Amino acid sequence: MTVDPANTSLGRMLLEEISPVVMVLSTPLVEEACLKNGLSFLQMLNPFSSFNNIDVPERTASDQPYRLQKFKLRLYYASDVKQPNLEVGKKKLKEIITQAGEKDLSELCSDAPQISNALVSSESGNPPSWFQCFNKQLVHMVSFSDHEAFDHPVACLLVASSKDEQPINRFVDLFNTNKLPSLLNDGAMDPKILKDFLLVHDNQDGPPDRATKLLAEMRKNPWAPYKSDASPSQHLGCFLNVDDISEKIRVLNQQVSATRKGFRNQIKNLWWRKGKEDVVDSPTGSMYTFSSIESQIRVSGDYAFMLRDYELALSNYRLISTDYKLDKAWKRYAGVQEMTGLTYFLLDQSRKEAEYCLENAFNTYSKLGSSGQQNATRCGLWWIEMLKTRDQYKEAAIVYFRVCGEDPLPSAVMLEQASYCYLLTKPSMLRKYGFHLVLAGDHYKKCDQIKHAIRTYRSAISVLKGTKWNHIKDHVHFHIGQWYASLEMYDVAVKHMLEVLACSHQSKTTQEFFLRDFLQIVQKTGKTFEVMKLQLPVINFSSLTIIFEDNRTYASPSAASTRESLWHSLEEEMIPSFSTARTNWLELQSKLIPKKYRESNVCVAGDIMLFGVSLSSFVVPLAATSFCFGKKTDEWTPDGNKLSEENDNDDNCEKLTTNMDISSDNSLFILSEVDCSLGAGETITVLLTVKPRVEGTLQIVGVRWKLSGSVVGFHNFQSNYVKKNVVKGSRKAKLSPNDNLKFMVIKVYAPLQYFTPPIQPLPEKLYAGTLQQLVLELRNQSEFPVKNLKMKVSHSRFLNIGNRENLTTQFPACLEKERDSGQSGALANSDMSHEVFLFPEDTLIQGEMPFLWPLWLRAAVPGYISLYISIYYEMGDISSVIRYRTLRLHYNLQVLPSLDVYFQISPSPLRLQQFLVRMDVVNRTSTESFHLHQLSSLGNQWEISLLQPPDSIFPLHSLKAGQGLSCFFMLKSCRKLSNSEDTISSISTPLASDVRLVPQGSGDSVYDITRSPLVDFHHCERLQQESSQQGDLNAIDFILISRTLKINADPGFCNAPHLISHHSCHCSVASAAPISWLVEGPGTLHHNFSSFCEVKLKMTIYNSTGATTFVRMKTFNSSSNVGRLTGVNAIQSATPGNQAGWHDVSLVNEIKVASNIPGTQHLIGKCLPVYLVWTKLHQCPT
Amino acid sequence: MIVCVAVVGHQNNPLYIQSFTEADDALKLHHIVHCSLDVVDERVNNPKKSGPTLNETFLGLLYPTENYKVYGYLTNTKVKFILVTTDLDVRDADVRNFFRRFHAAYVDAVSNPFHVPDKKITSRTFAERVSNIVKSFGLSSAG
Repeated sequence: MTVDPANTSLGRMLLEEISPVVMVLSTPLVEEACLKNGLSFLQMLNPFSSFNNIDVPERTASDQPYRLQKFKLRLYYASDVKQPNLEVGKKKLKEIITQAGEKDLSELCSDAPQISNALVSSESGNPPSWFQCFNKQLVHMVSFSDHEAFDHPVACLLVASSKDEQPINRFVDLFNTNKLPSLLNDGAMDPKILKDFLLVHDNQDGPPDRATKLLAEMRKNPWAPYKSDASPSQHLGCFLNVDDISEKIRVLNQQVSATRKGFRNQIKNLWWRKGKEDVVDSPTGSMYTFSSIESQIRVSGDYAFMLRDYELALSNYRLISTDYKLDKAWKRYAGVQEMTGLTYFLLDQSRKEAEYCLENAFNTYSKLGSSGQQNATRCGLWWIEMLKTRDQYKEAAIVYFRVCGEDPLPSAVMLEQASYCYLLTKPSMLRKYGFHLVLAGDHYKKCDQIKHAIRTYRSAISVLKGTKWNHIKDHVHFHIGQWYASLEMYDVAVKHMLEVLACSHQSKTTQEFFLRDFLQIVQKTGKTFEVMKLQLPVINFSSLTIIFEDNRTYASPSAASTRESLWHSLEEEMIPSFSTARTNWLELQSKLIPKKYRESNVCVAGDIMLFGVSLSSFVVPLAATSFCFGKKTDEWTPDGNKLSEENDNDDNCEKLTTNMDISSDNSLFILSEVDCSLGAGETITVLLTVKPRVEGTLQIVGVRWKLSGSVVGFHNFQSNYVKKNVVKGSRKAKLSPNDNLKFMVIKVYAPLQYFTPPIQPLPEKLYAGTLQQLVLELRNQSEFPVKNLKMKVSHSRFLNIGNRENLTTQFPACLEKERDSGQSGALANSDMSHEVFLFPEDTLIQGEMPFLWPLWLRAAVPGYISLYISIYYEMGDISSVIRYRTLRLHYNLQVLPSLDVYFQISPSPLRLQQFLVRMDVVNRTSTESFHLHQLSSLGNQWEISLLQPPDSIFPLHSLKAGQGLSCFFMLKSCRKLSNSEDTISSISTPLASDVRLVPQGSGDSVYDITRSPLVDFHHCERLQQESSQQGDLNAIDFILISRTLKINADPGFCNAPHLISHHSCHCSVASAAPISWLVEGPGTLHHNFSSFCEVKLKMTIYNSTGATTFVRMKTFNSSSNVGRLTGVNAIQSATPGNQAGWHDVSLVNEIKVASNIPGTQHLIGKCLPVYLVWTKLHQCPT
Repeated sequence: MIVCVAVVGHQNNPLYIQSFTEADDALKLHHIVHCSLDVVDERVNNPKKSGPTLNETFLGLLYPTENYKVYGYLTNTKVKFILVTTDLDVRDADVRNFFRRFHAAYVDAVSNPFHVPDKKITSRTFAERVSNIVKSFGLSSAG
């Protein structure tokens, strides 16, 4: 199946573009006459210049007859018959493009084109039609060049008006050489061209007689061989008839045949000319005048081409191309090659040859540099059209790419056309399509054709949609956004900008840049945007946690965000088991609650629900993002609103512009807005609250937020899967996400109100060891009493629940030991640390009176401490849906190191049962000074006393920051030597003894460490510092009580009255050996060795363990010769026959155990005096 | 000099793109790699009839742009490797060798149990290895 080449688009184009040119020369009066119709003469003539229904027989060079059925003449004014000005041409191109851009504007607002649409539209016809105009204009830019003949006028039409005076003379004037185009004058073409004469007569100007007369006159004129036409009337019609044109064609034919004849002759001349070799080629090619043989051949070829005698044309072109090549007249060579290619194409012969010729021409033109550029473009366009005709779209695209010159505007159009070629390639090369569109867009942008740029980029989006080439996508969207903004179409701009916001893969500067531009555009719109899929900040919806209050109420958000399991373990013993509680009240309410709400969660009107959503930004910090929830409620059983307005907004909350009904009185719920700013790469969790105010159902619809005060983002939870984590112990059944976000709001009459914070005064920072009194303050505003209060504290080491009496007494004075009274036996309830504290039975909280209860706080160890307190209470109102509730408190404390206290106990060298205690105290703070007040010991019958008076230890009475101190104490056992039965009882009553570290007169009295809460905390410390020596009778605990000297200015500190106690437990008085002994005897003894010398030594052995111990004694004896002491068993050597060494004499009878049964003596916790006698002193060698 | 290497998944999604130029031309290279996929598709869909190239992973020169030459390689799992180089005179053997080593590196990278298939390759070891391979490109033949 072959298509007639002439019927292809290229063929049609060629027939149109390469057709005979008629030069028109007219007098001003002619133009005037025509202007009556608003047309120039040329325009008036134009319809008569194309003939579609003619049938003219013609013969080829080889006398083959053929017929012309269509013919076209091109008419030009003589003034236009010249090489068009490049600048003017460019301007025209720009106009075409701009016009096309305006037309497309409406399209720009619509949605981005789909790739499938693009495919269909481009297949049905060449996409934007203005490409044709553009290409034509490009071709026209090189018309009337001197190296080609087909633009050379074949005839000249001289037109005069019947109104002209002496029209015949006018004709002569018209063909005056100075007015003729340069082509004719400078010898590029033969000035002797065919002349036709035309007389224009307007019937309005008078009867046609005068015209007829003039015509006759003209005919008579000898040099005017041809006729003139009758004047056209107002009706532009049919005055040029077919006959005239046939005549013209015949003339042309004559002309052509004349040339042909000449050509025949000149073939010989060619050889002849070759021999001559007289002409030196000049590169300009100006040597080829119209009369030169080459030009003649070219003209002949072109004329043949125009008359569609392609065989002849081809032979002419072939003949001449070698000539030009030899002459190195490259431009002419290229021109001939171009025509050869086209001729091949029209002959539908040798496709390869055609392509080769065109490519050759293109390359040759390109090599010529700027002078050949336009021609190259034209040639390229022919080439492309040819490739397209043959469905070689890919190749065509490549040629388009090659056609692109430096001039951005044509390049842009070429690139865009190239992209369509890729689209038409089978299979489509979509990525190249997109890429070339982007390139084209860039070029359009360079020449300020923004609309075209947007159009191309938008088409490119269709390629990228759904792919992961984010880098490219971002670039495209961002630029479209920017360009739309420059066109002040901000709405669309924002739409595109939104696409680039989630650009975590970009560099930080790019992200910042994107965000800044986005916000600028948004600002320019001057309104707040509501955007469904705002991608900044990134919200992790799977992290959505909902903390709502049914039984549980929270005193602070931090308490709410604490893990439920922690609370659960804390409350375990306190509350009735969850499941029973739940079923009970649900059953109770089953008639009240519609079935469909049964699955919903329950929350209490007036209570706050918390939602945690975690946000993260990319590298760019985001400022001031405010969040709030979107809700819808469905009022179920309306109830009077009596809750006051409460806005849980965070500090520095900006003015809210959202339409949330926060302030209206009859709103069913109260929402919070939270302002937060995200740092670079930060992820935070935002807690949002909602406070339903009436009974009914509440559904959480989604979240809305506002970015930087201008863009509002929404997110509906329903729209995507929400893996919600309902913090709820009881409900294990899987609920659909939607159900989880539905809440049934019920009314409970007795929410326990608390002061925020309910515990006062709670400092944020403390020094380790600080002991302080706190007051828990609760109140109940409803008329129903609250009873059965229980409380549980997570860290009893830090927080101790006091007695009611503590409220009335002054701290720390209440701890002072009354001088007259003895030791108070109020020892701590040792088990209370892990117990639930039950408030007294009669505790009822009702009415306006706040309920106060004292608490003791002691900062036991340095570090950060989280205290959890849960208070359980029951409603007095039995009918209430919720039988009990818990109030959860959470506090964070920072405990700073204060004093480090070390104790070292060593046995006194002087006395048994006495120990030296060395206390090292180091002040670890940087600023604080401490006042050491007292040291108390608590242990089994140990009494502590100072070695030196306090004044001598610390003259300043205080320990400055960073200072250390050591002081010594004496520890004495005050226990009577008692039998073993007594010892058991002594364990249970540890003896407390105190040493004042301040001088007597300072007015401070000694604190009683056996009083609550000191003793309670001490108990905790004992448990904490548990050691292996538990139950050791010799263990002793020390308590150092101190105070800070000055009032601390740090706001975190609380300056309430306090003590600082340091507990050091389980210090063992026992030395390494459980048995200690002491030998007493006279220091010096004078003896004359005349007699047996007896020195009395007293040895005291002390068994500090609780167990029976076997004791064996060895004595050391000295050998007189060597001067060494020899070890002799004292007991073995105590035989009468032994002369020297230890001799146990006088008391042998008294303590039988020592001599008779030496190994079995029982020493239980007491001293055993053993009397030994030194029998002989060895002689000192002199 | 190699200016860019890329791994493209079987759904034509970029898994790894690394440029080795100082200039800020990431976008350009993305475009080049993206476009080259068209050529890869073309090559794969219209394989040359001749026998030995039937199962050839190396796709050869995909297309020359103004300044670059783009080579392609297709693994059995339809993962494409793209190499963009500025060298005008590249020996086929060098490119083959490069792709072979690159393939090995890729296989090692995706064998990591923590690698999610069809997700971007984030392994630093892989990046280092690739940069070594890139550095040694063409050296073996020169020596």
